[in-house]
Amino acid sequence: MDRNKISKWLKNPGKMANKYSFHVVYFCTGCGIIEIPPSITTRWDAERFGIIPVATPRQANLFLITGYVSTKTLAAIIRTYEQMPEPKYTVAFGSCPINGGMYYDSYNTITSLDKYIPVDGYIAGCMPRPEAIFIGVTHLWKLIDMDKADGYKRYREDYVHYRANQEQILGELDWPPLFSKENL
Amino acid sequence: MNIISLIISILLALITGMFFLGISRKIMARIQWRYGPPITQPLIDVIRSFSQMGISHGKLFDFGIILSFTGSIVLILFLPIGNLCALTSGGLLAVLYLMLLTPFGIALSAAASANPVSSIGISRQFLLSFAYELPLLLILLAVMTHYHTISLVEIVNIQANSGWAFGSWALVLSGIAYVLILPAILGVRPFEVAGAVQEISSGPIAEFSGKHLAFVTLQHALHTFAALALFVDVFLGGWTLFGLLNPISGTIWGVLLGIIIFLIKMLIVLVLGIFVNAVFPRFRIEQAMKYLWKWPTLISFIGLIIVMLVN
Repeated sequence: MDRNKISKWLKNPGKMANKYSFHVVYFCTGCGIIEIPPSITTRWDAERFGIIPVATPRQANLFLITGYVSTKTLAAIIRTYEQMPEPKYTVAFGSCPINGGMYYDSYNTITSLDKYIPVDGYIAGCMPRPEAIFIGVTHLWKLIDMDKADGYKRYREDYVHYRANQEQILGELDWPPLFSKENL
Repeated sequence: MNIISLIISILLALITGMFFLGISRKIMARIQWRYGPPITQPLIDVIRSFSQMGISHGKLFDFGIILSFTGSIVLILFLPIGNLCALTSGGLLAVLYLMLLTPFGIALSAAASANPVSSIGISRQFLLSFAYELPLLLILLAVMTHYHTISLVEIVNIQANSGWAFGSWALVLSGIAYVLILPAILGVRPFEVAGAVQEISSGPIAEFSGKHLAFVTLQHALHTFAALALFVDVFLGGWTLFGLLNPISGTIWGVLLGIIIFLIKMLIVLVLGIFVNAVFPRFRIEQAMKYLWKWPTLISFIGLIIVMLVN
């Protein structure tokens, strides 16, 4: 691990600290949440990589969406995502947020989460094992190193587009836009 | 000389406090049969918080956290760290007043953030403060009456000549009472009512993000340091170690060794506190108040009566 490379730390301390201190909001939408307790407790121990669950989105920088997304929970997901401070990363967990999974033809399930909030990476599988979460995290480290985990920048740039998509599925949104025309 | 000791004591308190937070996370992990994070993990978290774009909820929100942080720094200056003491006047009375500034600053911030979870947390924090301030006042009264002084430096010097206060039979009951309220002052598990993560979403700091969260973490480190340093100074004799340092006292080596012995004593007390934190569940707030106003208050009151009879 390059946790001990001092030159990298001196060059960009914020980026390195973001890599090795993921404070995670787990969004318990579906069955995927059952894989989280073993991965943060004794058996797999995510804390050795600096990954700990936090209680509020204000303190978090990683958003883990575990399982299918229904239209009702989509509103909560968007509000939680908008409350997180930048830089923030989103990882969708399981096959349901990718293409709907086994709920592909359901009337109230979102088939593609990436249309509504930017997703930096997917962990495929139904269900993925806890090892897959750690492989996903190491891939996220590589993306952050290469500055490719830029979901929050895309959200800022294409906010009008994302907001239109959200309004299309949810109707009139009852919260003001995150970015107005001035601070875009 | 005085300015150098000011800067050194603040830096020492910050570094040691962050190290204590890291080592407590590591020991908790080892107790739960996990590998645990590296000891530098709280420092990494603080750097991450500083790099994030936090959200401020107004002037009062910024002011409260600054008040809390500076209050902790000023509290550190009144505590002798080994032979190092930046502000010698005031002593225990100043410490008693400044210890209330920390929850007060956080309360101002939490009130400005207008989060209902924060207000529940801050009301619990104040109730807990009221609950442990009563036995703490009785304990410090007993110490001040026994040694006829309010100066922490003099208390340490008297203990260097006549043995630790925890070992003397007049003050042992007060020492036991301080051990009983120490988890409440540190805010660890039997009394983790204010920052209960699972229950009220980490309580007062629920709305803190970015730089504000970083300052909360630094302030928490300083508060941990201050609570442990007060116990070591008042009851475990500060820098003294059974007269071992008497031949070299006054020299630069004596000062350095004194600081190291002081920090080792703090580490031992902290590790005992972590063991309590690891095995106990959390009190409800009214259970915590009932406990704190019953046993520690009773023991410290008997201790005060014994001290007054002896003198």
